[in-house]
Amino acid sequence: MNLSRPDRRERLDRLAAEFALGTSPPRVRRRLATIARRDRVVAASLSEWERRIAVLADRVPATTPPPRVWRNIETRLGLEADRVPAREAGWLRRIAFWRALAVGSLIGIVVLGAAEWRRAPVVVPAPLVVVLSGADAKVGLIATATRGERYLTLKKVGNAPPGQDKTLELWALPQAGAPQPLGVIPQGNVVRVPLQNPVDETLSNIPTLAVSVEPPGGSPTGKPTGPVVYSGAVERMY
Amino acid sequence: MTVDGPRTATGERNERLAALLARIALGDQRAFADLYRLASAHLYAVAIRIVRDGALAEEMLQEAFVSVWHHAGTYDVAKSQPITWLTSIVRNRCLDWLRRREVDTEPLATNDDDAPAWEPPSDGPSPVDLLLAAADAQALRRCVDLLESGPRQAIALAFFHGLSHRELASRLHEPLGTVKSWVRRGLATLRRCLDAAGGAQ
Repeated sequence: MNLSRPDRRERLDRLAAEFALGTSPPRVRRRLATIARRDRVVAASLSEWERRIAVLADRVPATTPPPRVWRNIETRLGLEADRVPAREAGWLRRIAFWRALAVGSLIGIVVLGAAEWRRAPVVVPAPLVVVLSGADAKVGLIATATRGERYLTLKKVGNAPPGQDKTLELWALPQAGAPQPLGVIPQGNVVRVPLQNPVDETLSNIPTLAVSVEPPGGSPTGKPTGPVVYSGAVERMY
Repeated sequence: MTVDGPRTATGERNERLAALLARIALGDQRAFADLYRLASAHLYAVAIRIVRDGALAEEMLQEAFVSVWHHAGTYDVAKSQPITWLTSIVRNRCLDWLRRREVDTEPLATNDDDAPAWEPPSDGPSPVDLLLAAADAQALRRCVDLLESGPRQAIALAFFHGLSHRELASRLHEPLGTVKSWVRRGLATLRRCLDAAGGAQ
């Protein structure tokens, strides 16, 4: 049955309406859902009716679900912490960890440097660090920058390449509003992503960076189109 | 299609939800938590009406949010309001669950067991009340007013309580054919009216 044929549009429209309202018999419902996966006309008809119909739910009096619902969602998705306030603590712990690491490195540099300072390059801890990790909490990339620089230095830690004919793109996620593209991440283990403005301006209101998989040359739409593989909070040490 | 009044609290909420969905598409957990805080009470209320069981509605809500986390990137702000998109996800979860349990018989085998073993909550607004309340947006109101009482009741029960044609027939004490044609006519009326209203804006 080819429902997207023009002469069957009327029938498709009726089936889609009943699907969206929910009155279709189970067999028809399953069938339509299956067809919609490969037929764009059918899929469009279903979602058009879903939009039309869902408007009716606007005034249903709200009922707050029990707190366990959110905890279960987080558990099922393996998200960072088991509840929202605890997650705040998680972020703080992470900041504390990176600060401690930065201070520790500095001490290490000073101690080692005492012996080798003539040979060692002068290492200034970057005042801005973003540890980008994947859903499995494994670190994939570390972004660092020094105030005033017009680029972010990215060090690849994970060994997951973006895949054939794909690139990784870096995004700034503002407190509110759409993600802002920062640029395609070049090939290599330590690379730079150039910025139009100094990094402290570019990221002044950006709490989080993320990396998505995009077609070569980056997202064609200016919005992320592929899966997000890494994200992390912007930690400022200034 | 938009059946919305002037920029209101609803409009602002939708803008916020759309921004959160964009961030969730990038794996932003904080945005996900915010979306849950903003939308879960509405979506839970929708689910509980359809599946008529608190624990089951919780399960449906969880599944819906898991799906939102994975598919936020497919949300297209140009095509639908975020709350409408989210509501569709929840309703589909609930309806799929309800229909999976149902024996697939059509035409109706007349059987007393078909009578749904539940009554709508008597303390809350009835499905028809809810339909009329939703219709506060002027365009929608005009469209719902166009429905005769049979189609209006059938659509309200189907929408808010997830009743199938079969269950509608049993609940409204009408032949299956009558109920089906009420639903069909009602949907056709809503469609014509809502699309005309949407196009006029």
